[in-house]
Amino acid sequence: MKSKITLLSLVLSLMLMVVSLVGCTQETSGEVAKDPNQKGILVVSFGTSYADTREVTIEAVENEIKDAFKDYETRRAFTSDIIIKKLKDRDGIEIDTVKQGLQKMKDDGFSEVIVQPLHVINGAEYTDVVQIASEFKSSFDKFNIGSPLLTSVEDYKAVVNALKTQLPELKDNEAVAFMGHGTHHPANSAYACFQYALEDMDVKNVFMGTVEGYPDLDNVIEKLNDNHIETVTLMPFMLVAGDHANNDMAGDEEDAWKSILKKNGFVVNTYIHGLGENKAIQELYVAHTKAAIEDNGEEE
Amino acid sequence: MNIYHKSKRNILILLCLMVALIFSSCSNTEINKAQGEDDGSYKIAFTDDLGKEIRMKEPAQRIISLYSAHTENLFAIGLDEEIIGVGRQDIYPPQSLEKPVFDYRSDPEKVIAAKPDVVLIRPFIQRKVPDFVAVLEKAGINVVTLYPEKFAEFDTYIQKLALLTGKEEQAANLLQDFHAGIDHISELTQNMTSKVQVYFESSENGYKTITPDSMAAKAIENAGGINVAKNAQAVTKGSSIAAFGAERILENGNDIDVFVSQRGAMNAGGNQHAISIRPGFSAIKAVKNNRVYVINEKIISSPNFRYIKGIKELTRMFYPEIVDDITRFAAEDVVTRNQMAEIAVRYKHKEIFVPTSKYYKKQYKGHTYGMFKDVAVDHPNFDFIETAVLSGYMESYKENGSEMFYPEQKITRGELAGILFMLHDLKDTQKKVNIKDINEVSNSRIVQIVVNNHLMQCDNGQFNPQQLVTGKEVVEALNQLKVLN
Repeated sequence: MKSKITLLSLVLSLMLMVVSLVGCTQETSGEVAKDPNQKGILVVSFGTSYADTREVTIEAVENEIKDAFKDYETRRAFTSDIIIKKLKDRDGIEIDTVKQGLQKMKDDGFSEVIVQPLHVINGAEYTDVVQIASEFKSSFDKFNIGSPLLTSVEDYKAVVNALKTQLPELKDNEAVAFMGHGTHHPANSAYACFQYALEDMDVKNVFMGTVEGYPDLDNVIEKLNDNHIETVTLMPFMLVAGDHANNDMAGDEEDAWKSILKKNGFVVNTYIHGLGENKAIQELYVAHTKAAIEDNGEEE
Repeated sequence: MNIYHKSKRNILILLCLMVALIFSSCSNTEINKAQGEDDGSYKIAFTDDLGKEIRMKEPAQRIISLYSAHTENLFAIGLDEEIIGVGRQDIYPPQSLEKPVFDYRSDPEKVIAAKPDVVLIRPFIQRKVPDFVAVLEKAGINVVTLYPEKFAEFDTYIQKLALLTGKEEQAANLLQDFHAGIDHISELTQNMTSKVQVYFESSENGYKTITPDSMAAKAIENAGGINVAKNAQAVTKGSSIAAFGAERILENGNDIDVFVSQRGAMNAGGNQHAISIRPGFSAIKAVKNNRVYVINEKIISSPNFRYIKGIKELTRMFYPEIVDDITRFAAEDVVTRNQMAEIAVRYKHKEIFVPTSKYYKKQYKGHTYGMFKDVAVDHPNFDFIETAVLSGYMESYKENGSEMFYPEQKITRGELAGILFMLHDLKDTQKKVNIKDINEVSNSRIVQIVVNNHLMQCDNGQFNPQQLVTGKEVVEALNQLKVLN
């Protein structure tokens, strides 16, 4: 009986050894040697299924980043699973999620990776990107995440200046209303802060509203009435002029901003170009990427 | 435990089994009797679409329908109270929103607890959740599976629903009207001098179309169109989806006068913009001429009475100038809001609004489809009214929490100005017309712009916003508006 147990334990321990050895070899073969010259930027956006607007917004910003940082390989990731699936099923276009993109960069032996989100505010989506990306922090020698468009006070001022390049000349009775996305996330305050920056920088008759947050269209209409505005030009305050811009903003349906403003007696023009089309905004994303590259984690 | 006790327990089990056997054989003979010699005690006897013999003594009083078309058709043949539950996706007619919802992907016990005498499903559900169906049947619930694969089977399908619920007469009348309606459209369209060639997209994944015997293909034919993809083969046997591909669409590009995309379901056709930006598609005649339309699958590919609306919609897409002609309204002395809704939708050639199953998941600030207290789904102009309001052309009202349209109210000059302003994006003019009574006009900014654009005239400088308009004034203003744009 005793010898049987000894034999059994011997067999078992042998098996364990084999298993652990196999495990070891697998781990070593899975680890890719990092190449100190392999540096990359993962540009992350929500994504869009429309090729035309994708080209002039997301792709245009990506290309600016590509041109600015030639030592880096620039890659793309989208956060919307629905859009990724649609592009795959319909157009046969494969686009990575943030996790897939970073895993591939890890597998390809990148030593330095910068994640640059093309988000407008530090909201829920950006937080998700940070959370997913942070898991890869130890996978690279250097790893940083760039900030969204509206982060620092300087950003707000820079964005005001960038928008000036797309604002039409406005008479006293004319205004521009921007449609931001808006969110339940505390970062929603960015929109009201941006309105403050506009006023602070003496940009008159330009008002900020959001689809899902505060301020909303009713707040905008109040401002328009207070300022005796008769003609409004609607512009998306979003990276891409997608479904929100085409339907919720400029659509002909009863609940679109254009319809509601018309019902209130305003003459409405629409400008259906995402922020990503604005050269100055593209440059701001490049500047954010640059800051992330130059950030060596040292406290100031 | 001693042997005595053990054997006693065995005897007990044996007894139970015997009793059970006797009972089950009893019920077996009963079914056999029904299947074999029909002694006439079953008023209701038919075979469902999975070959199951359905036998009932009385029409169903407590029905749970787990498929949207069944639900819609049950309401159509005059049932309401008898429908004690509907499926997760069932939103039409709007009364179905008030019914308890049952989900075949969740616990069948919920269905059993509701004590239905019939549960209506379709073969898809049987294939997808056989265990769910088995549990219901085991609990003694009469599960009836129906689904007409082809348009030719629609009548039989409706008749079975009617037989099951004792609504044979209503169903017969409905079917008669339905076919007469289709025949009427078909007579009107068959003599169109130059028939339009149509491509119908059922899915943007792989650019799929429809089979020649599908409901949508029949609708194209009845609406006076020629299906460009009439030789398309089904992707799988029995499916109405057919393969076609971008290459063949582009080969026929010069012939495609009208491009219709079916939307509303998963993997459906593309929207106008998505279609227009596909590589090479700008060369398609329909894309070049802005004749790409979308249609909700519920009115063109689903076995229900709204199918006739789908055919009518196709005639508007195929022959807009003829079908949407509004000059006949010029003969009216006054124009009701009901008529105005039709005029506006026809003038804009706007597709009628059809909600998708997701529609009611959102809250709407303005009007919600189907919620007018004074315009029911069977109102002759229901679709025009819903569409005119949901497209923002006309206003809706709230009265003590209820949504009202006031279809019989007459259109005033003030209201017409508002509608004209909503139909197009008007710009103000340099030269302003002086309107003496502008301070008496509630929507003064809009009226001023409409008058400045010469869409409506003043009488001795007075706009007279409360004055009623004639049909002629409406038609003339719209003609003027068309010139302006």
